[in-house]
Amino acid sequence: MKTVECIELTKQYGKTKAINNLSFTLSENKITGLIGRNGAGKTTLLKMIAGYLRHSSGEIQVFGVNPFNSLKVSANTIFIDNGMSFSNMLTLLELLESAKRFYPNWNHDLALKLFDYFSFSPNLSHVNLSKGMKSTFNMIIGLAARCPLTIFDEPTSGMDAGTRKDFYRALLKDYIAEPRTIILSSHLIDEVEDILEEVLLIKNGEKLLHTPVEELKEFAIGIRGKTEALKEWMEKIEPIYIQEIGANISYAVIKNDRSLIELENAKAIGLEVVPVPTEDICTYLTSKTKGGIDHVFS
Amino acid sequence: MWYVGGEISLILNPDSMKPIYIQISEWLESEILNRTIDTNEKIYSQYQLAEMFNINPATAAKGINILADEKVLYKKRGLGMFVAADAKEIILIKRKNTKLNAMVTELAKEAVQLNVSEEELINMIRGMHQKIKGEEK
Repeated sequence: MKTVECIELTKQYGKTKAINNLSFTLSENKITGLIGRNGAGKTTLLKMIAGYLRHSSGEIQVFGVNPFNSLKVSANTIFIDNGMSFSNMLTLLELLESAKRFYPNWNHDLALKLFDYFSFSPNLSHVNLSKGMKSTFNMIIGLAARCPLTIFDEPTSGMDAGTRKDFYRALLKDYIAEPRTIILSSHLIDEVEDILEEVLLIKNGEKLLHTPVEELKEFAIGIRGKTEALKEWMEKIEPIYIQEIGANISYAVIKNDRSLIELENAKAIGLEVVPVPTEDICTYLTSKTKGGIDHVFS
Repeated sequence: MWYVGGEISLILNPDSMKPIYIQISEWLESEILNRTIDTNEKIYSQYQLAEMFNINPATAAKGINILADEKVLYKKRGLGMFVAADAKEIILIKRKNTKLNAMVTELAKEAVQLNVSEEELINMIRGMHQKIKGEEK
C-alpha cells in the first residue's frame, strides 16, 4: 500500500522552485532516508507531506488524500523537527502526559523509559533545554507517538555522538516492535544507511535517485591512477566526479555500469578500481560542480 | 562498532565492497558450517538479525532469501526458516567453486601474459595434479 504518493509535485516560493516536478511513492511500513544538501528542499517536501504547506502544482496524496488541511493525515502523522515549540507553562513530564492524551497509539512506558535513560529532569521546562537535549526530547515524543507516518527532519542535529547512536538504535528497535512508515531526513547518510530500506536523494528540489539502499552502495565506483591513463580510459565515460589528487595522479568516480572487460583493461594500464563510500556517492551526486570545492580555489 | 549503552552490535565491515545482505548470508553460512545452528534447526529471523547487526529488517531478509534460493534453508509455513539436511554440503560446494574459479582465472591470466600455450598450461596442471595425488598415496 502507498502511504505517500507525489506526482509532478512542485512548490514555488515566488519565482524560486523549492520542489520541482517531483514524482515518487513511499510504500507502507518502510524506513526511507531523504538525503540532500542544505537547501535541496528536504524540509519543504516533508512539510508538504505532513500537511503544513500547500503545494503549488502537481499532486500529493498521503493515506490517499491531499494532506493539506486533512484531519485524517494530521491524526496519523507526526512531524519532528528542531523548531517544535511546546508550552513553557508545562514541565517536561507534563508535556509527555499531554502527548499521551493526543496520540492514540502513544506508548507511555517507552516514553518514560527513554526520558529516564537520557536523564531528563521531570520539572524542567522545554525552553531551558540545550539544543541537543531539545532534539532528544523531541525524538522521544516522535518515537512514543507511534504514528503510522512518522517524519523526522534532521532529528540528530545538536545531539552528541553517543546520543545519535542511541537514537538510531531506539528507532530501529521500536520500528521492529511496531512497524510503521518512517521518513528520516539527513545530510549525513553514513550514520543512517544501515537502518534504511530506501533512499530518496534530492538536489535543487528534483529527484536524483530513489532506490533500495544497497543499490546506492553499488551505484558508483572509483578509478584512480596516472592522469593521462585515466583520461584516455575515460574518453567516452562521463564522470560523476573527477579530481586531481597529486602530481599527475587523478581520481574519478563513475557510474558502476562498466563491463568486467573494461575494468580489466583499466587495471591492465595501471588504474586502480576502488569502492566509493555511500557518503561520497551522495556528496558527488548532489554537488554543484564536478570538481567540488577545489574549483573555487583553482 | 560498539553500541553505547550496554549492548554490543555484531561487526559488519562497512568498507567492504560486499553489500550488507551478502555479509549477512555469509555470516549465516559460517554459523551453519561451525554447527552453531544445526540441520533442521530454526535460523535467526530477519528481525533478530536486524537487532543483532543494527540493520534494516528488509536488508536482513535479503540475506536470508539468498540462502533459501540456494536451498541451504527451507521454509516451514508459519514457523520460519530452517537449516536443510544437506546445507553444509551446498555451502562447501559453493565456496569451493568460487575459490577455485578465482584461482583458475588468475592462473589463466598469468599464462596468457607469459605466452604459455593452452596445451602447455594443461600439461603443467596435469603433471602437478598427478604429482600431488601420488604424494597423498
